[in-house]
Amino acid sequence: MDIKRENILHLASLSEFSLSEAEINKLGEDLKDIIKYISQLDQLKTDNVEPTYQVFEMENIWRNDEIIPQDAEREMLLALTKEEQDHQIKVPKVL
Amino acid sequence: MKYLPTIGIECHVQLCTKTKLFSEVDNDARGKEPNSCVSPVDYALPGMLPRLNGEAIRLAILAGHAMNCKINPHSRFDRKHYFYPDSPKGYQITQFYHPIIGPGYVELPSGTKIRIEHAHLEGDAGKLTHFETYSLVDLNRVDTPLIEIVSMPDIHSAKDAHDYCKELWRLMCHAGVTYGDLYNGNMRFDINVSLAPEDAKELGTRAEVKNLNSFRSVERAVTYEIKRQSKLLDSGEKIIQETRGWNDAEGKTTGQRSKEEAKDYRYMPEPDLPPINLTEEFIETESAKLPPMPSDYRNKLRGILKEDILEILLDYPKLMQKISELESTSTISLIANLFTSVLLAEEKSAEYLNDLPSAKELKELAEMNEKKELSSTATKEVFLRLFDPQMKNRGAKNIAKELGLIQENNLDALEKIVDTVLAKPETQKAQTDFKAGEEKVIGFLVGQVMKESKGKANPSTVQEILRKKLS
Repeated sequence: MDIKRENILHLASLSEFSLSEAEINKLGEDLKDIIKYISQLDQLKTDNVEPTYQVFEMENIWRNDEIIPQDAEREMLLALTKEEQDHQIKVPKVL
Repeated sequence: MKYLPTIGIECHVQLCTKTKLFSEVDNDARGKEPNSCVSPVDYALPGMLPRLNGEAIRLAILAGHAMNCKINPHSRFDRKHYFYPDSPKGYQITQFYHPIIGPGYVELPSGTKIRIEHAHLEGDAGKLTHFETYSLVDLNRVDTPLIEIVSMPDIHSAKDAHDYCKELWRLMCHAGVTYGDLYNGNMRFDINVSLAPEDAKELGTRAEVKNLNSFRSVERAVTYEIKRQSKLLDSGEKIIQETRGWNDAEGKTTGQRSKEEAKDYRYMPEPDLPPINLTEEFIETESAKLPPMPSDYRNKLRGILKEDILEILLDYPKLMQKISELESTSTISLIANLFTSVLLAEEKSAEYLNDLPSAKELKELAEMNEKKELSSTATKEVFLRLFDPQMKNRGAKNIAKELGLIQENNLDALEKIVDTVLAKPETQKAQTDFKAGEEKVIGFLVGQVMKESKGKANPSTVQEILRKKLS
C-alpha cells in the first residue's frame, strides 16, 4: 500500500500532532514498512475463519458494583498534570 | 417544494450504578468536588486495566427489555479513537461491532411505533468548562456507564421527535436504570435531520445536532433544521453533512465542524475486556425483573383515570407504583387527583416523592373521604400531613382526629347544634328573612352552625336539617 503525504497529515491532525517536513517523510517511510510487514498475513486464506478478538479463552469477567476506596488521591493524580486550577486540569482552549 | 423530513435520534442514558463502568470509584458525583471521583483507570495511567461492572450489564438488559429489544447473547467492546482533553485514554470504550441490545421498538402515546436499531454500552467522557483563553477538565464523569440508544429513521416530525425522547425517558425511569435527571445531563440527545422530496426513494444529506438535554430543545432544534434545510434546498443549494451546535437562547443551530468519518475513529476490538456471553436463562431471569412499564399502566388505568392525569402521573414512576398498590377504583381516582393537584404543586414535592406514605395510609384517607368524615378541604390537609416529618406514620385517622378535622355526620348531634344556633338572638332576623323567601341567607345560617361545631359539621347535611326545620 502506498502511503501518501496527505495520509500522514490526516493521521497527524486526528491526533493533534504538528510534524516537521523531516518527520512527515520519516513517518511515511516507517508506516510503509510496517504495513508491508503486516501484509504478509494477506497470504493466508481466512474466508471461513471467525475474526480473533482475544487469544485467552476468558469470558464474562465482571466485578461487583461496590465502591472501593482508592489509594491514589486527587492531589497525587493532579500532580501528574502540567497545570491545574481549582482542582481541575488546565488545558489550552478547545472547542 | 414540499420535503419529507426524516429524523434519527441517538440517546445517551447514564446508568445509576454505584460505581463506574470500568473502575470501582463512586459513579454519583452530584455535589462532589471536581476530580474527586477519579481512579487511575479513569485517568488512563500507563498499565491500568478496565474492570467491567456486572451491574451495568444487568441494567442494560432491563433497558433493552423496556424497549422490546432482543438482548444479544454475545457482545463485546471496541475502542473508538479520538483526541480530545475529555478522554485521557485517547479512545472511548464502546460496543461498535457487537452491541448488547439488538433491534426493538418504542411505542409513542399516539400509537406510532419507532423502531430501535440497537443500543450499546459505553463509557462517558469527562466534562470541559471553557474560559476565555483556556479550558478546565473534570474527569468525574469519565466512564460513567452509558447506554446509547440508536433509533431507525422512523421519525418525520418535530412533535414525534419530542414524544419519542420523552417516552424513552419515561421507559428508562420506570425501568429504574437511570436517575433520569435531565438538568444534570443524565439523558442527552443527538438528532440527525435530513430532507428529501416527498416522492424520493433515498434520504437527503443529514446534519447532526448534538448534546440536547431537554425534550423542548429537541423539538425546537428539529423545527429549526427543517426550516433551514428547506430554505437551502429551495434556493438550489446543497446541505453539508456536518455537526451543528444548538444555541438554546437564540433558538438556532450553527455549523461546528465537518463530521469525522467512521474510519477516522480507527475502531478496534478492546483487547483488555473479555467478551460477554449470556445464557438464555440469565437473560430471562434479569428481564423478568423489569417493573411495570407506562404501557402496562395505561392499559390498567385508562378507564379509571382521565388521560391528562394519567399522562402526568406517568412522569413519576414512584407515584404510579404507589397508585397501582391501591385497589378500589374510587380510591385510585381520589389519590391520583391528590397526587397531581396537591402534591406536585408543593414546593417540596421532589423531597416528598422520595418518601411516599404507605398504601394503607392512603386507603384510610380515601375511606374517610368517601364516608364524608372528611370534607374535601380537610382531605387535602390530612393528605399533606402524611408527608409532614412531625406527623407522618401516625395514620390518616389519628392525624385527622388530632387536628379536629373529622366531620360530624351524626344526625342527632347535628340537630342539637342547629337547635342551639336557631335559639340565638342574632339568628332570628335571618330565620324570618328565609321564611319570607330570601333564599341566600341560608348560607349565613349554615356558617353559624359550622362555627358552632368548630368546623366539624358536614355543611350539606347541615343545610338539609336547616331547610327541614325552617319549612
